[in-house]
Amino acid sequence: MTQAATPQATAARLERLFEKPAAQQRRCIIRAVDVKKVYRMGNTETQALRGASLDIFQGEYLSIMGPSGSGKSTLFNMIGGLSKPSSGKVYIDQVDIAQLDHNELAWLRCRKIGYIFQSYNLIQVMTCLENVTLPMSFAGLEGDEAREKGIAILKLVGLGHRVLHKPSELSGGQQQRCAIARALANSPEIVLADEPTANLDQKTGAEMIELLAKLKIELGVTIVSATHDLKMLKRSDRILWIADGRIVKTARPEEIDFNSGEFH
Amino acid sequence: MTQLQKEIQDQVRLPAKVALDVVLQGIKIRLGRSLVTIMGVVLGIAFLMSILAGQLAKEGVSHESDLRAEVGRMMNFLTAEAGPLNERVVGVVQVGPLSEAENRFVKAILAQRPKVQWATVGGNAKIPAELAGAVQAVAVDQVGKEATAVVVAGDGPAPAVDWTAILANARQKVVGLARGTAAPTSAPAAEMESNSSTSSSASASSDAPAYTTVNLSRQPRPEETAAALKEATKNRFRSTWIITIALAVTVIGITNSMLMSVTERFREIGTMKCLGALSSFIRQIFLIESSLVGLVGGVAGTIFGTLFALAIYGFTYGFLLVLGSINWGLLGASAVGSVVVALVLSVIAAIYPARFASRMVPAMALRTNI
Ligand SMILES: Nc1ncnc2c1ncn2[C@@H]1O[C@H](COP(=O)(O)OP(=O)(O)OP(=O)(O)O)[C@@H](O)[C@H]1O
Ligand SMILES: [Mg+2]
Repeated sequence: MTQAATPQATAARLERLFEKPAAQQRRCIIRAVDVKKVYRMGNTETQALRGASLDIFQGEYLSIMGPSGSGKSTLFNMIGGLSKPSSGKVYIDQVDIAQLDHNELAWLRCRKIGYIFQSYNLIQVMTCLENVTLPMSFAGLEGDEAREKGIAILKLVGLGHRVLHKPSELSGGQQQRCAIARALANSPEIVLADEPTANLDQKTGAEMIELLAKLKIELGVTIVSATHDLKMLKRSDRILWIADGRIVKTARPEEIDFNSGEFH
Repeated sequence: MTQLQKEIQDQVRLPAKVALDVVLQGIKIRLGRSLVTIMGVVLGIAFLMSILAGQLAKEGVSHESDLRAEVGRMMNFLTAEAGPLNERVVGVVQVGPLSEAENRFVKAILAQRPKVQWATVGGNAKIPAELAGAVQAVAVDQVGKEATAVVVAGDGPAPAVDWTAILANARQKVVGLARGTAAPTSAPAAEMESNSSTSSSASASSDAPAYTTVNLSRQPRPEETAAALKEATKNRFRSTWIITIALAVTVIGITNSMLMSVTERFREIGTMKCLGALSSFIRQIFLIESSLVGLVGGVAGTIFGTLFALAIYGFTYGFLLVLGSINWGLLGASAVGSVVVALVLSVIAAIYPARFASRMVPAMALRTNI
């Protein structure tokens, strides 16, 4: 069993680690320091990240741009605590996540971070509502309370009329809305979205970005979204370019000419 | 502090019900594959149960036919000496609890419609309730009056009685011993013959034979017992071996389909981990799924196996004989045992796949090409 530590000990530790600092103007919620990731497949080594450093601040909408294979998903895995960097450090709320064990990472993923995937990754056998309440049950919230909260979130993302539908009965845009609702289930501070619009048409993709921007404003969540579509950048506060495993430049949307993709 | 503690405890504890939900929904969706897995368990357990039930049926039938042969022989020995029993008086001296064969023998005597005088000797001897109405209870010294034969039966010491006096008024002076061990005290042991359709005169030394003793039981020869024992051991080894193979195949089948279930659900597992599922929750999902498969397959297999074995033996020996002679208590115990075996084996078969799944890195969920 991986539950070596008692819940009490784990709680005490997490309490200490995630102690809220004195109110800051711009709290750095995610910090990556020289993160490298090497994938080994047999004899071949792939350097997916070659030393990425970045700070993400609370309440900002950060877009990460980069061509396919540049390491966006890998970076997401690192800053979301989904896999361990080969070297370098990742801090979430000032806590080095390398020092967290299995259960503490699960707690982190459950309550601090919401994930949105390119291919939605809804549990096919569950209804929209069940998909949304599943992470709540991992957080210990069940029954009517969870159901009501789930319905409220589904209404917020514009799926109030599809609560009891299965994912297979929904359009791609609706499925992604459901996935966004699921990411918000435990009121996380951070939402990580890896190419949330890649499987959607232009219009629906734009709607999704609008929704994320709205959530950022209404709920104050920090949103980190990966994309390789320029048109998805307008609503972001900051844009980060990644190429060949390195962060090559940062910009604000007003510095970009969206027609040519050039900087001013 | 306490709030956070509670959160973490809940995270560990609560999702058992959720896991069951996930499993049930999963089984519903993947019904076809689940059925194939269950069929594997059904076959393995049906095989196990058919062998167990078959053995019980066989034992029941052979016990019953042994019993019938024994009763028939006892009756032959008795009537050879005493002649037909109908309309005559037969005395019974019961010295202890009756064996099954003795019970049947007494009933066979009653079936010939004699008048039965029944005497009990010793504290352990009690007239069987179902016979009490059909016989006349008498004192032991009255048992030989008018009797054509007196039968000594029951598990107890030989009655310390004077047969010459008891049989003084008998029509025929015949003492039938249902057990070789219960030799009458007044008859010297030397004159007993172990396998006797032949009779011997009780008091050879005296001038006139006072009565005749017939030993009705037949003690099996030691070499026969040994051979039977050897045969039984051989059979037990053989069926144990076959059962082991069948169950091993079943376990491998379950493991295989559980692994398939794991690979099929890589994305789902990874997603759940991203949503905060603990490894133990993932493990639970597969263990619960497997136990359900084991339970359903085990019950179905047990039923099929039992019906199959009973049908085979029923058609061979007749259903009345098989159903009447089988030990239902042992059959029930075997059935429960089979279901437990199915359950235990399914859980064992799921251990490796469950561990495999629970150790998966959640980043798997982000990879779209799986
Ligand atoms: N699990 C893995 N095993 C081996 N190599 C991997 C693995 N994951 C990613 N890579 C490699 O790492 C590099 C970066 O991959 P990554 O998925 O991060 O790119 P990306 O920017 O997300 O691309 P896309 O826009 O196509 O999603 C690629 O060369 C890829 O082949
Ligand atoms: Mg990617």
